[in-house]
Amino acid sequence: MPSASLVFQSVVLGVLLGGLYALLAAGLTLYFGVMRVVMIAHSAFLILAAYLAWYAHREIGVDPLLTLFVTVPLFFAAGVVMQRLLLTRLRPATLTMMSVLLTFSVALVIEGLLGYAFSGTQRRIRLGYSSASIEFFGARIAVVKLIAFGMAALALLGLYVLMKRSRFGQALRATIQHPDAARLLGIDTDRIAGYGFGLGLATAAVGGTALSLDTTIYPSLHWHWIGPLMAIIVVGGLGSVPGAAIAAMTLGMLQSLLQLELSTTWAQTVFYVALFATLAVRPQGFFGGRLAQRF
Amino acid sequence: MRSGSDTRWLRLGVLLVAVALALSFPSMAPSPYEITVGIAILNYAVLSTSWNFVGGFTGYISLGHGAFAGLGAYGTGLLVTKAELPPFAALFAAAAVVAALAVPVGYAALRVRGASFVIVSIALVLILLLVFQSWASLTGGSRGLVVPRPFPGMLRSEHHRTFYFLFLALLAVALLVWWVIDRSRFGMGLKAIREDEDKAQSLGTPTFTYKLVVFVVSATFTALAGGLYALWFGDLDPVFQFSILSGAYMVLMALLGGVRNLYGPLLGALVVGYALEYAKVEFGDTPLHLVVAGLLLGVVVTFMPDGVIPAATALLGRFRRTGETSIREVTAAELRERREENDTTEVSSERSST
Amino acid sequence: MSRTHRTRRTHGGIAAGTLALVLVTSGCISGSGSGSGDSADDPIVIGVSLPLTGDFSEPGKGVERGYKAWAKIVNDNGGLLGRKVELKILDDQSNADRVVSDYEQLIGRDEVDLVFGPFSTRLVVPSARVAEEYGMLFVEPAGAAPEVFQQGFKNLFYAAPAVANDHYNHLAEYILAMPEGDRPKTVAYAAMDDPFAQGTANGLKDKLEKGGVKTVADEVYPPNTTDFGNIAAKIADSKADMVVGGTQYQDGVNLIVALQQLDYQPKMAAFSTAPTEPEFAKAIGNKTEGILAPTGYTQKADYPSNKEFVEKYTEQFGKAPEEDEANAYTTGQVVAAAVEAAKCASQDPDCQKKLVEWLRGNTVETVVGPLKWDDKGRPQSAHMIQQWVGGQIQIVLPDAQKEADLIYPKPKW
Repeated sequence: MPSASLVFQSVVLGVLLGGLYALLAAGLTLYFGVMRVVMIAHSAFLILAAYLAWYAHREIGVDPLLTLFVTVPLFFAAGVVMQRLLLTRLRPATLTMMSVLLTFSVALVIEGLLGYAFSGTQRRIRLGYSSASIEFFGARIAVVKLIAFGMAALALLGLYVLMKRSRFGQALRATIQHPDAARLLGIDTDRIAGYGFGLGLATAAVGGTALSLDTTIYPSLHWHWIGPLMAIIVVGGLGSVPGAAIAAMTLGMLQSLLQLELSTTWAQTVFYVALFATLAVRPQGFFGGRLAQRF
Repeated sequence: MRSGSDTRWLRLGVLLVAVALALSFPSMAPSPYEITVGIAILNYAVLSTSWNFVGGFTGYISLGHGAFAGLGAYGTGLLVTKAELPPFAALFAAAAVVAALAVPVGYAALRVRGASFVIVSIALVLILLLVFQSWASLTGGSRGLVVPRPFPGMLRSEHHRTFYFLFLALLAVALLVWWVIDRSRFGMGLKAIREDEDKAQSLGTPTFTYKLVVFVVSATFTALAGGLYALWFGDLDPVFQFSILSGAYMVLMALLGGVRNLYGPLLGALVVGYALEYAKVEFGDTPLHLVVAGLLLGVVVTFMPDGVIPAATALLGRFRRTGETSIREVTAAELRERREENDTTEVSSERSST
Repeated sequence: MSRTHRTRRTHGGIAAGTLALVLVTSGCISGSGSGSGDSADDPIVIGVSLPLTGDFSEPGKGVERGYKAWAKIVNDNGGLLGRKVELKILDDQSNADRVVSDYEQLIGRDEVDLVFGPFSTRLVVPSARVAEEYGMLFVEPAGAAPEVFQQGFKNLFYAAPAVANDHYNHLAEYILAMPEGDRPKTVAYAAMDDPFAQGTANGLKDKLEKGGVKTVADEVYPPNTTDFGNIAAKIADSKADMVVGGTQYQDGVNLIVALQQLDYQPKMAAFSTAPTEPEFAKAIGNKTEGILAPTGYTQKADYPSNKEFVEKYTEQFGKAPEEDEANAYTTGQVVAAAVEAAKCASQDPDCQKKLVEWLRGNTVETVVGPLKWDDKGRPQSAHMIQQWVGGQIQIVLPDAQKEADLIYPKPKW
């Protein structure tokens, strides 16, 4: 039986991990919401952002957090361009299936180019505060993990405010919920979809920077992330941002707790078990609803 | 009718020549290495043809068929080593097990359309990878599983030759089954699903059963290919057996060649197999082969989602000014586009011609 | 009706085209072999497949440098049997399918005279089988896991001092020889799910458990693990006196940093591979004092060939060789010794048989010391144990080779 302190430590780690999952899953949800696109390349962009942070740190010694000022706008623009130039070319009837393949190919290209530029070596940013930690009710929290969680939480909060409080957010939600009706109301759904895509990619920029603080990165790492993220958005209900966030926290926590009794590898299966269970019991997901049902 | 029988003879002749060429290839190969290249390409061809049972007939794109190949391979290997079945009995037993497993998997996956289906297919590969890595007491985990040679004492070059013909036979069976389904009522129902699942359902096609049956057929052939590969290759490692990339290559090959064509996946397997080899020789020790595969997939998906064969035929047709094909060669999306662009008479005349 | 016929005809045509392409393709791939005639002027062509891209690319490139250094040094000294040596290196993309097809190509099509082994246990077993079935001698620099030697290979030799499970032998002896009250009583193990890395940790575990040292945690993590928070939490919670990591490079660094984040302070800490890498100290914030690691190679070893190797390697690549490079170089030395003794280097079965038989019965002087093998190809020497003492890594065990005294208990990190 694991000790109480170890359980508490695992809960803390689970929350910290879940936060990052939640942010990234929110991005995936946005793409699906605005375009009905399953964006396999999301985690490849995540790794790309992490590499940019690492590279900037190595070459000019800036703190990885500062790279956000470049990567977030850059990724936003890349998202808009990708939506406009690539995804709109696909036939509407087969969009969902073909977009998977198209974004898959983007992921392969990114992985190949990262490997070409930086080789397959595992990389890690060396920060002065890498091994620093603070005490929290008997648990130890690494400072870098706390910063990563903070970034994820802030970005999610920002996203929430943007979606709920701004005119753009209203238009975006309208586009997600009912594109035809939104168009009738005079919303330029194509432009909004592009921006939605950009926003999704911007979350990958934030997530990648957060990731680079405390873990190793290597070009093929994105395969390791895409599976859990896709499971999260299905469990949460395709297209539902709060659903994705709740599912991310729950599954992140479960993974962390399961590691107490099981090996790391077995603990990872929780995402896929949850995915299959969801599809068997409630194919539309636990928190989403209408959207998922239709697709 | 006479011209009809002429083309039939021509077709038969061409097919015979092709078969003769394929059969004589091993004896023309200068070294066993060329035979192994032939086997690798045949293996690709069987896998993508197997994939095309689901992808081509129903339009459901599975990125997780690598899982069935891996299961077939490990199933065969485990039945040989743990249950001590004779190798080829193990191969068919493993395929039967995979077929049985494909029923619940298909049941879960096919209940959902589009996005969720793809996600499930990817998740299947990832979860099996984790299970086969962790369950080391059964599978050997990262230490791998060694499958004993089915023909002990056979020289290595002879071993390659034998498996070349076994893979060729499997390919022939897979193509034959595809051809038979293509011509059957069952096949018509499946294609109706591809074009418009809701309409097919309302017209009385038992869509779910149809999808499930063809999914199981597809999984079984994939497992046979995987199992045969295990018997030929001998060393299994979860990382290489359960890889999303191998599933993606199947999709790429089938799409490239053309999913509506009997020989599309075969052609795709040749092109992709050759392109990857070329990228490796040309770019040496860089991971640019991934970029090449990615770009190829991107181009195919964006510009010729129906594959090279239809794209080439359409091009030819434009020269001959007889661009129309029978209705089953046209997707619902194309029809819709045409309907929007042109007058409706063209479409209706096409419809009456079938 | 006519339409359907036309489509059918296209089918037939495509089938024929496809098969024609098969033949053209294989024709293109085949091309000309290189080393068929074996006259005295022809170079000795040595075929190698290495993971130059993909997951094992980093050590793979190290092995490549070692082989290249060997070829250059041999050629500068006049070659082998008076012939130049030439390496033909293919990239296997860290993939078992490819490594097998590479050796098929090297042996079958390119008709190389000799082959060297690839990197990583996962790739050594399949490729050793190809060499075995073509009757080629197979000396390899990297397959140290027990599985490699259980396949019944007769032509395989591992060119390093000891197999993975024996890496910690000196340390195990040292611990078990300590007074009962002093020595670590509990140990936590964490190993990467890789035959080599797990082999090192398991070897030590078996010996310590037999000696009565309790195992309180035994974690295995997949090679793609990047977040070690949970594993470290379990180790820290076990409060083990000693931590042992069956690690490679980056996972070792990550595990140590995660343990530091939890402020876990063991009395002894041993990790394979990572601590011997040049960038290790910086990667864990220079808190290295007292960390132990086994090693099969040291640049400072005074074996005669090692001086030449370190000097010329440094000249060629601008830095001193590490263990991967040294093992590759050793592979070259072992094969060279067999070739000199058997006076032949070709695919001829008699020649390969002579090479194998010579290695079975003889000892070879290498940069990692004198090597000889048992009938399974296992080398019969031992690894040294190094420790970070006074800011640099020094040999502490065995006594005969030691440069510093072992520090115990380990200072805080």
